[in-house]
Amino acid sequence: MRIIGVYNIKGGVGKTAAAVNLAYLSAQAGFRTLVWDLDPQGAASYYFRIKPRIKGGGRKMIKGKRDLDELIKGSDFENLDLLPADFSYRNMDLMLGDTKGPVKQLLKLMRPLSMEYDRIFLDCPPSISLVSENIFRAADALMVPTIPTTLSMRTYEQLVEFLDGHRVMDVKRMPFFSMLDRRKKMHLGMLEDLPKVFPEMLKTPIPYASDVERMGFHRAPLGSFAPNSPAGLAYAELWKELEAGLAG
Amino acid sequence: MTGHTYQYQLGDSDSIEALLTALSSQFHLGTEPKKSVRHLLFDSFDWRLFQAGMQLDEVQDKDGHHLVLRSLADDSPYETIRLEGEVPRFTWNYSAGLMRERIAGPLQMRALLPVVEIRSQVIGLNLLDREEKTVVRLQLEENRARPAGRADYQPMTHLIRLLPVRGYDKYLKQVSRFLSDKVGLLNQSQPLISLALEAIGRKPMDYSSKLDFDLQPDTPAGEVARQIHTTLLDTLEQNLPGTRADLDSEFLHDLRVAIRRTRSALTQIKGVFPDAIVEEFKERFSWIGSITGPTRDLDVYLLGFEGYRDTLPEQFQSDLDPLHAFLVSHQKIEQQAMVRKLKSPHFHKLLKDWRAFLSTQADPGSAGDHSQKPIKKVARKRIYKTFKLVLEEGLAIHPHSQPDELHELRKSCKKLRYLLEFFQSLYPKEEIKPLIKTLKSLLDNLGDYQDLEVQAYKLREFAHQMVQEGAVPADTLLAMGMLVDGLLKRQQEARLVFAERFAQFADEQHVERYNRLFATKQDAKLNGAPS
Repeated sequence: MRIIGVYNIKGGVGKTAAAVNLAYLSAQAGFRTLVWDLDPQGAASYYFRIKPRIKGGGRKMIKGKRDLDELIKGSDFENLDLLPADFSYRNMDLMLGDTKGPVKQLLKLMRPLSMEYDRIFLDCPPSISLVSENIFRAADALMVPTIPTTLSMRTYEQLVEFLDGHRVMDVKRMPFFSMLDRRKKMHLGMLEDLPKVFPEMLKTPIPYASDVERMGFHRAPLGSFAPNSPAGLAYAELWKELEAGLAG
Repeated sequence: MTGHTYQYQLGDSDSIEALLTALSSQFHLGTEPKKSVRHLLFDSFDWRLFQAGMQLDEVQDKDGHHLVLRSLADDSPYETIRLEGEVPRFTWNYSAGLMRERIAGPLQMRALLPVVEIRSQVIGLNLLDREEKTVVRLQLEENRARPAGRADYQPMTHLIRLLPVRGYDKYLKQVSRFLSDKVGLLNQSQPLISLALEAIGRKPMDYSSKLDFDLQPDTPAGEVARQIHTTLLDTLEQNLPGTRADLDSEFLHDLRVAIRRTRSALTQIKGVFPDAIVEEFKERFSWIGSITGPTRDLDVYLLGFEGYRDTLPEQFQSDLDPLHAFLVSHQKIEQQAMVRKLKSPHFHKLLKDWRAFLSTQADPGSAGDHSQKPIKKVARKRIYKTFKLVLEEGLAIHPHSQPDELHELRKSCKKLRYLLEFFQSLYPKEEIKPLIKTLKSLLDNLGDYQDLEVQAYKLREFAHQMVQEGAVPADTLLAMGMLVDGLLKRQQEARLVFAERFAQFADEQHVERYNRLFATKQDAKLNGAPS
């Protein structure tokens, strides 16, 4: 089982779209895949038409009193399941704080799923918090959607500082360009410069595309209704890079 | 079987239409395009996957070509792999992974063979909730079946299956209640393979090499002997095509076991057939034993090859490669020679004559003296006598006994084992099974002792043969020498275990069980048992 966190300190960077689309591609390739929608806004759950609600609430689950196993919902796609969001996740930091090993609690909860799933994608809420630290400690790879702007570069730097400062070394850092607008000069400039500073940057940029926005209308992953659109093809390439990174 | 809670039997195509109407009046459904699916179900000739609760399904449809290992209990998939070409026949042809792990245990050296083919027209329906999310999948299947790869398709049960979506049990229960209570459909609990076989007039497990007679104590011995021989002849014939085609090594093995059992039954069930017949067929069947022996010997080496190789230190293992090549090429030559003989008129006449003899009504005048006696009496006497022989021969063996004495004991044990197996249905299962088990454990030990020695000497023979046939690397001969050494050491170990195994057989309670089951009052007096 490999755990992939999709995370950025900033919100609105195409995080949920990446988690949902990459998970869909993973399931299509035959990996038994789970998406855990950790964001209380429940956007990933919405894309899968699944109610953002956990039976019994989030607290019991985080405390380990309910197996994740019982709370999982099947999506409309083969090999692809979802652990829905819950509004109580907004207090997840407090819930985690009450447990014995606050920074490793999410990993502990996911361990029993290792026989059932090959890949778990975590759709993470923005900001640096106990939740995000849990994700850094649990994940094998951290996908960081990054809009090619100077501000985004700064937030990625902040993340790197945090990871180094907290000695989080086991997670593979995989930033990638998100919402790329080729009409914008700054975007093109960053596309060129950023990989020089951060060689871990993945090669495939995800374009800014109305197809991605249409996911909200279709309430489905892009691959299921527009696999050959430019964004659809870009996610497919990005997924290959992710898998190569997990293997290497 | 508890599975298939959510599978129902459908009538003809009309009832499918009616069902669709009923379902859509009650539920919010999405439909998927109708698709045709071809299933080809595989198992070994002796149903090893079925016995292990599994069915192997080669599925071809518009989505591709897959091999799916399913549970027998509810057809649910355990493992799926994508296929490039044909279904690999042997477990060692599969790449490492969960599929191979699952099937390797039950299949061992047996080949996967196509059993039955199914053509399905599948209509997929999705039950949707208010968010238009699929919460239950329904699959309507119009099925036809035929024996693998030939003949016309036969009508087969049509099915509707409910495929649960995780986390939405409530809806699943709703639909299943609707189908059983409102529509009145019947639950269908048979696995796919059984339904398909039923359509072509077969049943699963219709072949087994195990002896499983259901004998009545009072049936005349002559009649029982014919029944046993007929079954053994059937087994022999069932294994012929697979032996000739060399589908796997076990066809020949089962064929040879049937021959050995036949010869043993001819000698052991005494006085039921005319002596001249017994002598004639004993000799003729012994011929089959001898023409099939060389191929089997090489099969045994090839089956055990990996095991042999693993006994050597790693740096010497590859030195055995020329031996493997030698075994493979000689197995081919022997197999071809054997097939020629198995196709000869001589062979066919033997089987034909034997069947003709078995199917003619016994003429009381020409049959042996015991043919009219009740089988239980004849069986009891033979078993007890052979048991006493085994006990006597075994007790005479001491640490310095010659190998010949152990070989003789092995022969007697084999006789006893066949007798117990032929006649086990005449005795309570819980009484007879432990006897067979103890005997088998003793026989395994005696078998090891003898076979390991034979194998060691045979390896020496191979070495000479390889030298004669051309250049053999010295390293190969040295590695084979190590194997010989290992085999002889193991043989000595087997010798040491013998005393313990025989002690189990000669154990007081165990002997008492034989006495209780097979001794007459007279025997008991001779044994000095309290009356």
